[in-house]
Amino acid sequence: MKKDNNKEKRYFRSLDHLIATDEYKEKTAREFPEGASEMNNDWSRRNFMTLMGASVAMAGIAGCRRPKEKIVPYVKPPEEVIPGVARQYASTMPLGTSAYGIVVESHEGRPTKIEGNKMHPSSNGSSNALIQASILGLYDPDRSQKVLEKGKEKEFADFLTFWAEKYNVYRANNGDGLAVVSESFSSPTMARLKKAFEKVYPKAVWATYEPVSDANIFDGLKIATNKDVRPIYDYSKAKVILSIDSDFTQTESENINANAGFAAGRDLDDEHSEMNRLYMVESAFSSTGASADHRLVLKQKEIDRFVHALADKLGVVSANINLPDASQAWLDPLVEDLLANSGKSLVVAGRRMSAQIHALVCGINDVLKNNGNTVTYTNLTDVSVSHISDLQVLTEKMKTGSVSTLLVLGGDPIYNAPSDLKFASAMKKVETVIHTGLYNDATGKHATWHIPASHYLEYWSDARSADGTVSVVQPLIAPLFDGKSSVEMLNLINSGELLSGHDIVQETWKPMISGEFEKGWKKVLHDGLLANSSLNSESISFKLKNINSPGSGDEDGYEIIFAASPAVYDGRFTNNGWLQELPDTVTRVAWDNVAQVSKKTADKLGFNSEDLITLSVNDAEVQMPLWIVPGTADDVVVVALGYGRKGIGRVAEDAGHDVYPLRTASTMDFASGVTIAGTGRTYEIANVQDHWSMEERPIIREATKDYYEGHPEFAPHAVHHPPLESMWDEFKYDKGYQWGMAIDLTTCTGCNACTIACQSENNIPIIGKEEVRNGREMHWIRVDRYFAGDVDDSSSVEMVHQPVACHHCELAPCEQVCPVAATVHDDEGLNTMVYNRCIGTRYCSNNCPYKVRRFNFFNFTKETPEIVKMAMNPDVTVRSRGVMEKCTYCVQRISKAKIEAKKDDRRIKDGEVVAACQQACPANAIAFGDLMDKESDVVRIKQRNRNYALLGELNVRPRTTYLAKIRNKNKNMPGAQESQTEHHG
Amino acid sequence: MSKDLTDLKVQKEVLIEGNPTFETITDNVSRVVEKKPGKIWYILFTISGSLTLMLFGILAFLFWEGTGIWGLNNPVGWGWAIVNFVWWVGIGHAGTLISAILFLLRQRWRTSINRFAEAMTIFAVICALLFPAIHVGRIWVIYWVFPIPNQMGMWPNFRSPLLWDTFAVSTYFTCSLLFWYVGLIPDLATLRDRATDKIKKIMYGIFSLGWRGGNKQWKHYELAYLVLAGISTPLVLSVHSIVSTDFATSLIPGWHTTIFPPYFVAGAIFSGFAMVMTLSLIARKAFDLEHVFTPKVLERMNIIMLLTGTMVGYAYSMEFFIAWYSGSEVERFAFINRAFGPYAWAYWIMISCNVISPQLFWFKKLRNSIPVMFIVSIVINIGMWFERFVIVVTLSRDYLPSSWDYYSPTIFDIGIYIGSFGLFFTLFLLFLRYLPMVAMSEVKGVLPEADPHHGGGH
Repeated sequence: MKKDNNKEKRYFRSLDHLIATDEYKEKTAREFPEGASEMNNDWSRRNFMTLMGASVAMAGIAGCRRPKEKIVPYVKPPEEVIPGVARQYASTMPLGTSAYGIVVESHEGRPTKIEGNKMHPSSNGSSNALIQASILGLYDPDRSQKVLEKGKEKEFADFLTFWAEKYNVYRANNGDGLAVVSESFSSPTMARLKKAFEKVYPKAVWATYEPVSDANIFDGLKIATNKDVRPIYDYSKAKVILSIDSDFTQTESENINANAGFAAGRDLDDEHSEMNRLYMVESAFSSTGASADHRLVLKQKEIDRFVHALADKLGVVSANINLPDASQAWLDPLVEDLLANSGKSLVVAGRRMSAQIHALVCGINDVLKNNGNTVTYTNLTDVSVSHISDLQVLTEKMKTGSVSTLLVLGGDPIYNAPSDLKFASAMKKVETVIHTGLYNDATGKHATWHIPASHYLEYWSDARSADGTVSVVQPLIAPLFDGKSSVEMLNLINSGELLSGHDIVQETWKPMISGEFEKGWKKVLHDGLLANSSLNSESISFKLKNINSPGSGDEDGYEIIFAASPAVYDGRFTNNGWLQELPDTVTRVAWDNVAQVSKKTADKLGFNSEDLITLSVNDAEVQMPLWIVPGTADDVVVVALGYGRKGIGRVAEDAGHDVYPLRTASTMDFASGVTIAGTGRTYEIANVQDHWSMEERPIIREATKDYYEGHPEFAPHAVHHPPLESMWDEFKYDKGYQWGMAIDLTTCTGCNACTIACQSENNIPIIGKEEVRNGREMHWIRVDRYFAGDVDDSSSVEMVHQPVACHHCELAPCEQVCPVAATVHDDEGLNTMVYNRCIGTRYCSNNCPYKVRRFNFFNFTKETPEIVKMAMNPDVTVRSRGVMEKCTYCVQRISKAKIEAKKDDRRIKDGEVVAACQQACPANAIAFGDLMDKESDVVRIKQRNRNYALLGELNVRPRTTYLAKIRNKNKNMPGAQESQTEHHG
Repeated sequence: MSKDLTDLKVQKEVLIEGNPTFETITDNVSRVVEKKPGKIWYILFTISGSLTLMLFGILAFLFWEGTGIWGLNNPVGWGWAIVNFVWWVGIGHAGTLISAILFLLRQRWRTSINRFAEAMTIFAVICALLFPAIHVGRIWVIYWVFPIPNQMGMWPNFRSPLLWDTFAVSTYFTCSLLFWYVGLIPDLATLRDRATDKIKKIMYGIFSLGWRGGNKQWKHYELAYLVLAGISTPLVLSVHSIVSTDFATSLIPGWHTTIFPPYFVAGAIFSGFAMVMTLSLIARKAFDLEHVFTPKVLERMNIIMLLTGTMVGYAYSMEFFIAWYSGSEVERFAFINRAFGPYAWAYWIMISCNVISPQLFWFKKLRNSIPVMFIVSIVINIGMWFERFVIVVTLSRDYLPSSWDYYSPTIFDIGIYIGSFGLFFTLFLLFLRYLPMVAMSEVKGVLPEADPHHGGGH
C-alpha cells in the first residue's frame, strides 16, 4: 500500500495492512521482528521457559506464582500446569494515583485476559475498558525493545557502566544537577525509593507530572482541611448525588467503584424500590451525564459561578452571585433536595474543576453532613501527586543549565507537558537525559539514553489503592523486551546496583507483613493484596477562610475543554488497537478525537461534522475535525487528549490530532478565548452510529420513576401486537440448561467495558479506521447511543445507551435463511455459529433484526503479528475471511463450567458461568445464567416488571431481554413536568 | 390437421414482410453466419471481450481478497451483486416466455424473435448465475448449497430461500438451454448442409444430431418442442416468484411482503421484453432484418411492456397501501424512507423509468416509432435495475436506527456489473456469428407458402 506522508487523511484498511508496510518500518527505524520468525527469537523462548520453570517451582501453591529467576528445563511436565487449562493470578494495574486489583488468566505462561479482583476495593471483581485493553498493550510489537544511546543500539550493561561513573559523581556532590521527572504513583515501594532518593541526593530535584491527574482534588482538600487527604466516595449510600463536571462512571479515577455504587442505588426490584437521583452540571456530554436524572449544561466558567452560588446558598461561604434564571431555577429545588437528604447525599466535583471548587465541595459536603457518611477521607500515603509547579521549577532549572542529568521515569513530557514550559527546548540544555518508557516516544528520541520499560504485567511492584489497601503488582510473564521497571530503575539510580524488582518489593513488604514473612507473602501473592491494610479514615474539619470570588462568567468567546479520552486516556493507550477502535460512548467515533460542539455552536460557526477546523488559543493552533454532539454546552469545544502521538507506533501514528500544544500550565483543564476558523477542508471520520434519534420506536423503553409507579407494566406493554404464533413445530426448550441474559438499562452507563472485554475474550480482530468507516466494525457487543430532546437546547438533551449483542432468539430468523445450515440452534437455546460450515452469504445478517452479526469481509487476522497472537484466547476460534461471527454467550465458558460440573456429577450452579461482558460490567447491569434454575439471578431479574423483549413483536423470542430505563425526576425541577413521557400503556 | 380459428386469423396477417420465399429466408439468415463478419462485429467483439476479461480480472481479485472489496457494510449485506442477479434473471424471462408461452398460445408472430429471445435468456441467466456464486464469502465451498451426499451427513437447509433459488434458477437454466437447443436442431442441419469448410461441417454436424428433415423426425421434434414448452411455461412464473422469496420470506421491513412473487414476475417480463426490444432493434438494423422483425411484432411487444409496466406500477402503489394498512410503524417507515429517505433519488428514477415511461405506449404513434421504443426499452431496463437496487438497499434502514448506514458501491461493484455486460455481449456476438439468429424453419412455417391453402381456391 502506497502512502503519502504529507496527506492530511491517511487510512489503512486493516491493522495488518499497516503492519505489513515497509515504509512504516523504515520510518520508525526500529527493528521489528516480523511474522513467524518471532517465536524463534531466543528472548521469547527463553522467557517462556523461565515462566515454565517458575510454574514447576510453584507446585503445591495454587493460584500464585513464586518468582524463581532460574531457567529450569521442561524435563518433566509440571503437575500443576495442564495444557489447555488456564490459571489465574492476582495482580494490580496501577494508573495514576489509583490502583485496580485484577486477576489475570494465563494460558501456558502467557496472560490472555484480565478480570477484576473480587477482593480488591477498587475493582470489586469488575473492570473497565482501559484495564481490559491493557493486555493488548503488553503484546504491542511497537513497544521499545532496545536500549539506545543517542539513537544507537546498546546493551543494558553499557548503561550500567555509564551510570556507575555518574553515580559516583552524584553521590559525591549530593545529587547536585540530578533531576527526576516521574509519573504519579501510589506505591509503597516507589514511595520508599523516592524517600531513599531524596536522602541519597539531597540536592537533586524531583518533579512528578501527569497530564491528567487528580491534583486539583487533593489541592482543594488541602485548602479546605489543611491535610493531604484523598476522598473516597460511597455512591451506594447516596440518595441524591450532585456531580459537578465529574464523569465518575467513566473517566474519573476510581470509576469502577463509583459505577458499581451508583448502580447499586438504582437497582430497582419493582416500582416501589428506592432509587437515587443524580444531578449533573457539566459542559461536555459525558457518559455519567447520560445517566443523570437532571442535567444542567454550563460553560466551565459558569459552573464555577454555579458552585459558588450553591456554596453561598448552603452557607459554606458568602459569595454574592447572580446566576442566570435558568441556573437559578435549577439551583433552588436542587438545594432543597440536597438538604432533605442531608447525610445521604453526595456532592462530587470532577478533576477539571479548580482546587477552589474542590475546597468548596468539601465544605458543601460538610454542611450537608456527607463528610464521614457518603464521603470519607484517607491520608495520601505513599502517593506522589502530579504538581505542575514542580515541573515548572524543574524546567526553569533545566533552562539555566543547572540540571546535568535528567531521569524521565516513564511518561512523555515533550509530548504532553504544558506547552508554555517549552520542555523540549529546556531538555536540550541538559547534558544527559535518561528516559525509560514503553515506547521510544518524543522524549525518548531526544534523550541521551532510552531504556525500554517493562509493562505492568511484566514487572514487580506494589500499589496502594484509594482506601489504602496495599496490593502487589506481580508479573505474569518475564519482560518480553528486556524492559526495566520504574522500581528497578530508581533503585539503580539510588544504589548503583541493579536488583530484581522482586527483591526490591519484598524489601518494602517485610515490615508490613506480620508473622512469618514467606507465609504472609504467599497469601499476598495469592490474594493480590494485603488483607486489612486499608487506612483508617481521616477525620477532617472544614476550615475555609477566604476564597477568591469567581470570574464574572461574562461572554469571553469560545471555551475549550481538555478532556481525558475515555479510550486512550492521556495518550498512554494511544497505540492500543482495541481502544482506538472502540467507538466513543458519546460520539460513537473511533480512531480519532474530534472537536465536539453543540448543534447551535456548529450552526453559529457555519460548520458541520467532519469539517476540518483550526482551533487557536494560547498562541498555538491545532487543526482537527469538528463533530456535533447534541447536549454539549454552547460556545464550548471539547477535545480529548492523547491523540496524534506520532512516531511511537503504527496504531497511534495517524489516529487523531494532538491538542497538547493548546494547553498551558495555567489552562490545564480548559481555556477561554479560543478562536475557531475553517480550513475549507473536510476530514473523514469513522463513526459507527450516524443516527441520533430512536425514531420514536420502542427500542429503549424509558419512563420517569413517578410514571413507573403508576404504570409498573409500562415496558412490556409499550408494544401491542397480534398473538405470536410460529409457522414451525416449535422445539420445547424445557430440559437441561437454558441460557438467557438480562441487561438493565437503568444501571448501564454505556462505559464500553463490555465491548473490550468481549473483544479480549473472543479474539475479535482490529480492522482499522477505513473499515470502521466502511461500516464493518466487528464488535460482538456494541453500545448503542440515542439522543432525545431538543438539539438546540443543550440542557434538554438526554442520552441513552443500550448494549446490543446477539439475542439468541428461540425462533431465530438468521437460522431459517442460511442455505447451508451454518447457524443452528442447540438444545440449550444457544444460537450457534458453525464457522467451518459458513459459506458467507450474509443472508443471516440481513435477516437479523438486531444487526448483531459481524462478517469477515477480509482476512482480518491473517497478518496478525506473532506476538499479538499471544494475546489470543486459545479457547476461541480465530475466524478467517468470508465467515460470519457473532456473540456466542461465551460458549467456551459454558463448556468449561459444564466439564467442571460433570466431573462432580452435578448441575452448574448459578454464577458459575459468567459471560465476559457480564464479568467486566462495573455496574452489574448484565445478568446471565440458566433460565431453568428458578433461583438464579437472571430469572430473578427477568421476573421484574420492567423486563421487556426488544422487537419481541417479531416473534423471534429473544433470550436476551432488557429492563426499562427509569429516570428519577424531581418534580420541582424545571422541565421535569414535560419529561413525564407518556408511554402508551 | 384440423385448423382452429386462431390459425385462420393469424394467417390472414402478413407476419413476414417483403414476401420472401423459403430460399430467401434461408439465405438471409444463413448468410449472416456464413460470410465473414463485418468490421463492426470485430469492433464490438473486441470491446465486449475486453470487458469480459476485465470481469475475470476483478473476479480473480475478489476471490483473492474477499467480498470486502465491494461497498457492503453491516446493515447492507447484499449490494450490487444481488441487484445484478435479480436484474439479469428478470431479463432472462422474456426469452422463454416469448418462446414457450406464445408457442403454446399459437401466437405465431413470435417466430421472428423467439430464437433471439431464447439466446438472450440463456446468456442473461448465465450472467445472473454468476452473481450468487461470487457474492459468497467463501467461493471454494459454494458447492455446499447443493444436496450432495457427504461423509458428514450434512444437507443444505431446505427452509432457506437461497436454496430454493439454487434449484429454481438452475432448473430454469437447464430447461431454457434444452428448449433453445431443440429449436436449433433443424437450423443447425441447414447450416451443416450449406457448410463449405470441413470444420463447420463437422461441428454443425455433431450438434444437428443427424437431422435429416424426415417426417418422423419432424413429428418427434415437434412433440419434444411442445413438451419442453409445456415444462418451461410454469418455470417462467416460478423462477422469479422464488427469487422474490429471498426478500419476501425475510422479516426485514420493505422485504417482508406477500405481493413480491406476482410483482417480481410482472417486473421480470417487463424488463425481459425491454431487453429483447433493445437487442432486436439493433439486430434488425445491423443485419437488415427489417422484414423479419416487423413493426407489428414490435408494437405487440410494446403493448406487453405497457401492460406489465402498469402492473409493476400497481404493485408499487399497493406496497405503500399495505404498509399503511398493516399498521406496522416500521413497515410504514421503510416505504416513506424509500420515497423520501437518502435513497429517494433511486426510488424516483425507478418510478419515472418503470411507471411513467411505458405510458407513452398508450399512443399508437409513439408505440410504432422505432426511436421512441428504443429509448423507452433502455429506460425500462435502467428502471428495473433501480427497482432491485431500491429493494436491496432497504436493508440500510431496518429496525434499530443505531445500525443504519449508507451503502455505496465501489469501483469493483461497478466493474463487475459492466463486466457482466461484456460477458453477455461476448456470448451474444458469438451466437450471432455462429448460430442462426432467426429460427428459419419456424419462420418458413408462417410464410403464406407454408399454408396448405396458399394460393387459394384449392
